[in-house]
Amino acid sequence: MADIYVSNVKAYKAKKIASNVLLYAFLVIVALTILLPFYWMILSSLKSTVQIEQVPPILLMAPSDWKITNYTDLFVLVQSGQRAGEPLFPFFTYMKNTVVVSIITTIGTTITTVLAAFAFARLNFKGRDILFAILLGTMMVPGEIFILTNFVTVYRLGWYSISNQTYLDVLLAMTIPFMTSVFYIFYLRQTFKQIPNELYYAAKVDGTTDFKYLLKVMIPIALPTIITIIILNSMGAWSAYIWPALISCKDEYRLVSNGLRGAFTDTSTGRTDYGQQMAASVLVTLPLLILFFAFRKQIMRGVSRSGIKG
Amino acid sequence: MEIKMANLTKIFISKDKKEVHAVDHVDLVIPSGKLIGLLGPSGCGKSTTLYLIAGLLRQTEGEIYFGEEEMSETPPEKRGIGLVFQNYALYPHMTVRENILFPLENLKVEKEEAKKRTFEMAKLVGLEEMLDRKPKELSGGQQQRVAIARALVKTPRVLLLDEPLSNLDARLRLQTREEIKRIQRETKITTVFVTHDQEEAMSISDEIVVMKDGIIQQMGEPQEVYDKPTNLFVAKFLGNPQINVFDGEIKNKEILIENMFVGKRDLPDQKVFIGVRPEGFIIDQENKSSFHFKVDLVETIGRDTTLIFDMQDDSINILDKKTFKAIIDAGFRIKAGDVVHFNIKPEKMHLFDINGTIL
Amino acid sequence: MEKKNNLRAWLYLAPLLILMAVFTFYPLINAFIVSSYKGYLPLSGTADEIDFFYNFGVILKNPLFKKAVINTFIIAGVSVPVSILLSLLIAVSLKSIPKLKGFFQTIYFLPYVTNTIAIGMAFAFMFHEDYGVINLILGWFGISPVNWLGGTASYAAQMIALLILTIWNGLAFKILVFTSGLENIDKQYYDAAKIDSASKWTVFKRITVPLLSPLILYISITSVIGALKAYNSVVGLFGDVKLGAQNNSMITIVAFVYQYKDGYTDKGYISYAAAASIILFFITAVISILQTVVSKKRVHY
Repeated sequence: MADIYVSNVKAYKAKKIASNVLLYAFLVIVALTILLPFYWMILSSLKSTVQIEQVPPILLMAPSDWKITNYTDLFVLVQSGQRAGEPLFPFFTYMKNTVVVSIITTIGTTITTVLAAFAFARLNFKGRDILFAILLGTMMVPGEIFILTNFVTVYRLGWYSISNQTYLDVLLAMTIPFMTSVFYIFYLRQTFKQIPNELYYAAKVDGTTDFKYLLKVMIPIALPTIITIIILNSMGAWSAYIWPALISCKDEYRLVSNGLRGAFTDTSTGRTDYGQQMAASVLVTLPLLILFFAFRKQIMRGVSRSGIKG
Repeated sequence: MEIKMANLTKIFISKDKKEVHAVDHVDLVIPSGKLIGLLGPSGCGKSTTLYLIAGLLRQTEGEIYFGEEEMSETPPEKRGIGLVFQNYALYPHMTVRENILFPLENLKVEKEEAKKRTFEMAKLVGLEEMLDRKPKELSGGQQQRVAIARALVKTPRVLLLDEPLSNLDARLRLQTREEIKRIQRETKITTVFVTHDQEEAMSISDEIVVMKDGIIQQMGEPQEVYDKPTNLFVAKFLGNPQINVFDGEIKNKEILIENMFVGKRDLPDQKVFIGVRPEGFIIDQENKSSFHFKVDLVETIGRDTTLIFDMQDDSINILDKKTFKAIIDAGFRIKAGDVVHFNIKPEKMHLFDINGTIL
Repeated sequence: MEKKNNLRAWLYLAPLLILMAVFTFYPLINAFIVSSYKGYLPLSGTADEIDFFYNFGVILKNPLFKKAVINTFIIAGVSVPVSILLSLLIAVSLKSIPKLKGFFQTIYFLPYVTNTIAIGMAFAFMFHEDYGVINLILGWFGISPVNWLGGTASYAAQMIALLILTIWNGLAFKILVFTSGLENIDKQYYDAAKIDSASKWTVFKRITVPLLSPLILYISITSVIGALKAYNSVVGLFGDVKLGAQNNSMITIVAFVYQYKDGYTDKGYISYAAAASIILFFITAVISILQTVVSKKRVHY
C-alpha cells in the first residue's frame, strides 16, 4: 500500500510550475480576447480613412500616427437637410439627455425601492408575502410585453405628440415608467433584514416613528447597498435603446445609444465611415468606463452579490 | 510510521504586519503506532502543527520526517495521511458511500477492491446501514465516524485528527473517544489527536504533548505528565478541578504557606509557587496539623465532597477572592464555617520557582 | 394597532404600486386582451371582433416568426452553455493563481460596463471582411478571409459572429458571480480533497461543480432568459433596419415584436406584437420551469 505515497518530488514541482504557466497563459489569452474589441475600437477611431481601409489591417500604430480627425469630424455641423445646423453626431446633446434621464430615473427608483424594501423587510401587514411573491414573479416577464401598451399609455398621458412634444414630455416618458425595480427591492430588503430587530424595538420604546427610524437608522446602515443600487441603476440609461427611440419625436431628444446606429452610413452611397463610427462608439463607452473605474469596488461587489443572492 | 519534527517553525504575518510564531522551533518525535494527544489552549499552535504534518501549510523553517523520508517538498496528497477535520468537511453532495470511496477512486484502486474496503471501513465505524445517506441526514456523531472512515480507508501511514470531538455533545464525546481509541488499537496507525480538552487527551492518548505559544512544554504518558509537570503551566493545564497554586516560601528547608508548615524540601531559602492537587489534601483534625483554613463552601457531588476555602476572609471584592479547593471523601461531615486542618500528600505537591519552572 | 400598521405599510408601498400598476400590471393584462382582438387600433381603441386565436395563428404561420424563433433558440442554446462552461473554467483558474487575481478580474468585468450597441459596432468592424482584425488573426493560422457580415455572408458566418459577441458580452457577469461563489465554498472541502489525493480535474468535477450547482442553475436560468431576449447585440452588429446581411436573416423574437413598433396606425399590428411577446413569455416560463425541474435532481442542497 505504502508505495502509493512514495513520491517523485522533483517531477511534482516541475508539474506544478508547468501548470501555473499554463494557467497564466490561458488567463492572458482570455484577457486579450476581452480587451481586443476595446483596442480595435480605439485604434480604428484614431486611423485615417486611408489607414482604415488598408489591407491587411494595421494592428499597431505609433502615437505620432494617431489622427483625431474622426473625433473632430463628429462635431462638424451638417450643412443641409433635416438636421442642418446640428453636429454630425450630437454627442453632447445625447450625453446631456442621457445624464438627465439617468439622474431622474435613479432618484425615483431609489425612493420607491427604499420605501418598499422597508415595508417588506420591517412592517407586518396582511398579504405581504403574497405581494412580494407576485412582484418577484414580474421579474420573469420579458419587458417586451409591456412596451407597446406603455407606448399607448404614454400617448394617452399626452407625453407623445409628433407635432408638439416638449422636452419635459420626453423626460417624463423616459423616466416615470422606469422608476421601479423589483430586483433592487429584493436586494435592499436582504440588507434591511440583516439589521437586528432589537434596534427597531429599542427605537420604538424611545418613541421613534417608523419613518424617522428608516431615515436615521436603516438608511445609514444600509448605505453601501443603496450606493451600489444608485451606481448600477444610473448605468442603465446608457444601454436604453428601443424605448427612447420609440417615444422621442425629435432627434435631439434621443439618448446616446440611439445616435450610434445608422448615423454614419452615407445614405446616397451606402458607404460607412468606420473611423467616425468607432470614434462615436469610444465617446459613448468612455463615460461608463470612467464611472466603472471610479466605483470599481462598489460595482463589482454589488453585481456579484446580486448574483449570489438572487 | 515514526514522525519526526526538527526545528519546525511556522511564522504567520498578521494583519498589522506583525510576525506571529505559531509554531516555534519544535523538536518532536512521534513514535510509530502510538496515539499522541497534542494538547494546549486555543492559539497554542497545535492545529498549525497538525496542518504542517499534513502539508496543508508550509513551514517557515525546519523539517518533517516520516520515517527516514523528509516530507517538506511532498504535497499533502502524496504524504499518505488521513485527516479528520474539526467540522468533518464531508462532501455535502455525496452519500456516505461516495465520501468514503472518494480517496480510493483518486488513488485508482481497483473497483471491486475499493467497494470491499469501503464496506469494511463502514463496518469498522458501525455505519454499514447508512451508506446511502447524505451527511446532513446523519447525526453529528455519525458524521464524525464517516470522516474517520474516509480518513482511514486508504490505509494511511498517519492519521491526523483536528479537534474531532469538539462539535459533539458531552455524552457522544465520551462514546466517540472510546471508539477512536478502539479503532486506533485495531489499525495500529500512528495517530495525532489535537484537542484543547485535557481530560479528552489524557483519557485517549498513549502519550500527550502539551503546547503553549508554539512551544512544546512537556511530552510523556498522561499520568506521568500529570504527576510530574515540568512547569506551572502544565500543572495548571492538566487536571480538573485545577491544581491549587499557593504563594509560599522555603525557609530553613521547610515549605511554608502563609507561615504554616506544609512539608520539607532540601532547597535554599526562596519564594516559591506551591501547587497542590485538590485530591492531595488529607484531613487531620486530631493532630491539629498546622495547615488550616476556615471552610467557605461545601459541595457534595456523588462520592466526592469539594471544600472551597477563602484565603482572605476580609476581602470585600468577590473577584479578588483567593480560593482553593480540596476534594475529600464524602464520609467526612464538614460544614461551612468549620476550621479544617490538613496534611498534604508529598507526591501531590509541586514546587515551582518564581518563573514557574519545577524545582 | 394592527389596522394602523396595515395602512402605514401600504403608504410606504404606494409609490411603487401605483407606478407598477400603470406600467407593469396593466400592460401585462392588456397584452393578453389586445392579443385577442382582431383589427385593433390602439389609439382609438376600436376592434373589429374578439378572436382569441386569430393573432397567434397569424404569427405562427409567419415564416419570419419561425426564423426568429429558430435564431433565438440557437443563440440561447449555444451561447448559454458555452459561456457558463468558459466562465466556470476562468473562475476556477482565477482561484488557483497566486497573484494578479484582482487585475484579471477587473479586465474580465469590462464587457459588463459597455454600451451593447457601441460594442456591437466595434464587433461589426472587427468582423469586416477586408479591414477587420478577426480575418487578420485567422490569416496567421492560414485560414482565408471569411465574409462574416457582408452582403453575401452565409447564415453560419453571421450566426457565429453573433454568438461570439453574445458570449463575449455575457462572460463578465458570470465570471464575477462564479468567482464570488467559489470564494464562498468552505476551504476545508479543498483541503479534504487534497488529503484524499484528488486531482485538479477531479476536484473541479466532483467538488467545485456540485457545490456550485445552485449558483450554476440560477445563472443558467437568468442567462437563458437574457438570451431569449437578444436584441441590442443584433442591432449593434447588423444595424437597426436590416438585421442581417440578407434581409432579416438574423431576426430574433424580440426584433420580431419590435418590427411592429411603428404600426400604431395600422389595423391589428399591435395585436400581432402582443401575441408574439406572449409567446416569448411562455417560452421563457416553460424553459425556466423545465430547467428547474430537470436539474432539481442534480442540484445539491
